[in-house]
Amino acid sequence: MATLNHLSSVHISTSSLRPFAAPSSTNTPNLSLNSQAGPFSLFLPSISLKPHTKPKPRASVIVLAVKTLAETELIVVPEDSDQFAGQFPPETGVYAVFDSDGDLQFVGLSRNIAASVLSHRKSVPELCHSVKVGVVDEPDKTALTQAWKSWMEEHIKATGKVPPGNASGNTTWVRQAPKKKADLRLTPGRHVQLTLPMEELIDRLVKENKVVAFIKGSRSAPLCGFSQRVIGILESEGVDYESVDVLDDEHNFGLRETLKRYSNWPTFPQIFVGGELVGGCDILTSMNEKGELGSLFKK
Amino acid sequence: MASVGGVVSRASRMRTKLQSALEAIVLEIEDVSHQHASHAAMKDSNAQETHFNVKIVSPKFHGQTLLKRHRMVYAALSDELHSGLHALSIVAKTPDEQSS
Repeated sequence: MATLNHLSSVHISTSSLRPFAAPSSTNTPNLSLNSQAGPFSLFLPSISLKPHTKPKPRASVIVLAVKTLAETELIVVPEDSDQFAGQFPPETGVYAVFDSDGDLQFVGLSRNIAASVLSHRKSVPELCHSVKVGVVDEPDKTALTQAWKSWMEEHIKATGKVPPGNASGNTTWVRQAPKKKADLRLTPGRHVQLTLPMEELIDRLVKENKVVAFIKGSRSAPLCGFSQRVIGILESEGVDYESVDVLDDEHNFGLRETLKRYSNWPTFPQIFVGGELVGGCDILTSMNEKGELGSLFKK
Repeated sequence: MASVGGVVSRASRMRTKLQSALEAIVLEIEDVSHQHASHAAMKDSNAQETHFNVKIVSPKFHGQTLLKRHRMVYAALSDELHSGLHALSIVAKTPDEQSS
């Protein structure tokens, strides 16, 4: 989820800006704006305040990863969260939220645009009518920052104002990243003797919980790209799921090998719905692209 | 390259097995182990040939769910999966799906 703290309406200083809070992986570097490009500041007095000036795409020598805000297509946010699937990419990039009057409310930065939009839709539906999305394909710190800055600058140049949601002290969009649910552990630890075989623990787990994802790493810090993608999809669907870290030898000792036998499936991650194996990352991704996940999770 | 230093590569073994078990019309196998060399579970090993992308078009997939198709691929590669093959990205299509 993107957060912007202490953005003064006159001067954006690098030290106080945090456009980016990482809700998921703790091993992604923290995005901070002390950039190699030097302090970034905007001084409003120099911005043209003619009301009918059309926003011109800014001539830039830097190749930007995203189109200008003006050139980007506006996507209406569906009322029904069922229709959400496939509308927004669970990818990294920038996004701009518009209210029903077409006014820009907030420009955010996210590692999972779909999840961020869904979350805003839930918390401030009246401000979240349509969205422009700019996926950044090779999302290193610099590229992401540039993209976000470019949209902010473009808007400020065109309107003379910082989007209300990005203003200093505004907490509508800014909040602590919601604390993610803890991963499920199969046992209290190696020191405790199992009274049930691991196979039975697994069986009970998948039958008692509607959606279970066996992943490498934790949901807040997945340790492989396939597991990360699965978590990304589950989060953007807003589905309530349990996650189990198959690499946690302290609490889930023996899980890896037992699960492979149990599912008759040799790789991780593995996703179970209603007690049945749905498949791995490829299958979940394919279902997501085809819009099949809504009905899968409703069963 | 079918062999590395005189030893038959995993990719080439995979090709043989998938070809015979699944009568593949199209078979593309790509070793992407280097893309995963830095993630946690791989850090301590020097293993190569651990992660592959497989694209396979076979008439045997007709009428099978994605899950079933993946299981068929895994079954054909069972030995490899027990000897260091960690992960597969699988695209499994029927000839009709491939051309549509």
